[in-house]
Amino acid sequence: MECRVLSIQSHVVRGYVGNKSASFPLQVLGFEVDSINSVQFSNHTGYSHWKGQVLTADELHVLYEGIKLNKVHQYDYVLTGYTRDTSFLEMVVDIIQELKRANPNLVYVCDPVLGDHGSMYVPQNLYPVYKNKVVPVADIITPNQFEAELLTGKNITTEKDAVEVMDLLHAMGPDTVVITSSDLPSRLGDRFLVSLGSQRKVRPDGSRTTQRVRMEVHKVDAVFVGTGDLFAAMLLAWTHHYPDDLKMACEKTFSVMHHVIQRTISYAHGEKTHQEVFRHVCFVNGFVDGSVCHKNTSASFITLNSPQTLMCLFNILYVYIIFLCSV
Amino acid sequence: MECRVLSIQSHVVRGYVGNKSATFPLQVLGFEVDSINSVQFSNHTGYAHWKGQVLTAEELNVLYEGIKLNQVNRYDYILTGYSRDSSFLETVVDIIQELKKANPSLVYVCDPVMGDHGAMYVPEYLLPVYRDKVVPLADILTPNQFEAELLTGRKITTEEDALEVMDLLHKLGPETVVLTSTDLPSKRGDQFLVALGSQNIVKADGTKTSQKICMDMPKVDAVFVGTGDLFAAMLLAWTHHHPKDLKAACEKTASVMHHVIRRTMTYANEMAGPGKRPSPAQLELRMVQSKADIENPAVVLEARVL
Repeated sequence: MECRVLSIQSHVVRGYVGNKSASFPLQVLGFEVDSINSVQFSNHTGYSHWKGQVLTADELHVLYEGIKLNKVHQYDYVLTGYTRDTSFLEMVVDIIQELKRANPNLVYVCDPVLGDHGSMYVPQNLYPVYKNKVVPVADIITPNQFEAELLTGKNITTEKDAVEVMDLLHAMGPDTVVITSSDLPSRLGDRFLVSLGSQRKVRPDGSRTTQRVRMEVHKVDAVFVGTGDLFAAMLLAWTHHYPDDLKMACEKTFSVMHHVIQRTISYAHGEKTHQEVFRHVCFVNGFVDGSVCHKNTSASFITLNSPQTLMCLFNILYVYIIFLCSV
Repeated sequence: MECRVLSIQSHVVRGYVGNKSATFPLQVLGFEVDSINSVQFSNHTGYAHWKGQVLTAEELNVLYEGIKLNQVNRYDYILTGYSRDSSFLETVVDIIQELKKANPSLVYVCDPVMGDHGAMYVPEYLLPVYRDKVVPLADILTPNQFEAELLTGRKITTEEDALEVMDLLHKLGPETVVLTSTDLPSKRGDQFLVALGSQNIVKADGTKTSQKICMDMPKVDAVFVGTGDLFAAMLLAWTHHHPKDLKAACEKTASVMHHVIRRTMTYANEMAGPGKRPSPAQLELRMVQSKADIENPAVVLEARVL
């Protein structure tokens, strides 16, 4: 498989967020990963302390120039995630537009990291950039419910709302949308959260169809950072292998998440008491302000007092499929 | 295996040198790799063009401070390679000294990159920093012949010279020394180059001695960049698994190199086409494609114990 990904994300010396979260798994799956580090920090901003340096839009451009001058700017995928800087984001858009001219088949996988649970955790001025410039060039996007609502201006209270919002997002650009987490009530009870996906395709006869997917995903009583980045990377990988089967791609992606998280929790439990916050690996989209403690975007609470219950729950992952054909 | 490496090397957006060359293979082998990128360049400097930014000594210190403030400055290994800045190198030394205080069992794997084939390709003033500050802290050293000669002030023209130079290097600090390549004539002919290694060991009766090994490695008609970085990283991994058996560690390390280089040459020649010399872009190591060989290298080279 000769597949080259350009990933423009954060680098942390220690831990797994941004490019650290995305590169190794993609490489393990055989993808060539070129990575531009948008920042270099000691660790993610959920720790008590973090220190480091950021890349400016100009510096990003300089790096891209180097790649271009050597005529090696052919990519099959571009992957982006958490950003705090509008000029940086706009430079990313320019680069992607140029890369798409160089390879019209390029697939841009975009995690539009804006916030969660009703509030933004990036500067507000990023919102119009995502809405008007970034999402229109995206092919696959992985918003959470809040981000999907922000981008479309429509609230989600029912599954029907979610499907409409995904169609609105399709109309903005991307043929594949996965709402990575939502507050919709799960059929399996309050220990589960609902994720949804939608993929627009054109049939051989020219007619259009949309495959919709719904997943009931275990909630976890922990704060993870970097899992959103892992999710987007793995969705890239598995939609690559299953370009016409969002169900399969999502099952693989969510399953990877499950295994990594399970292993992380077991390890963290082995190390600390269940009251402490886990610092190792995984979960949740993006960071929050350096001064504020971590936010848990897609977890709520199950009791951890019974390890057997925890392991049992983790061994179950239900996927429901809803096929809707729209012409 | 819970083994944490701090690797302070270059980052390139595209290709495999420095941290890009070291990180993936170490992670594949189960090591936790914390990486400080000393530079971020578009690609290595063997291409027609290269652009990017360097990290200053001050910025390096700031990153280390972050790690320290969170009290996660405990490492089992440190790995360093190519550096052009003496103040950066001196800050690296300070950091290593502090990390060794935090963990006295820490193993510092150092590639003292200074030059090759008789010429330096870093600023001259790095030599005293390496010789007087860096190498004394190193536990494992991977100089080529030129670097070994520079550090010891002795020329190598025979195998005996090489053994003496390695002993001189032991005296400077490191218990394990591998001369990654030399101009010594190989017993297997001119399609081979000679590499040597020496490891101080304490025998059962308490006496100190060293295990010396020699390897004949097939030459390749191509210029690769990043192979030294891969070598140092894999030597770290295999000496970790074979801490008292330099022969086994070197055989595994050299075998990984062989598989990766073979795969790269085949690909590069295919890409370049018949009769054409491959470009630097085409010669980038086929790292990702070599995952299986990295995980479990078939041993194809034998080291002789001297």
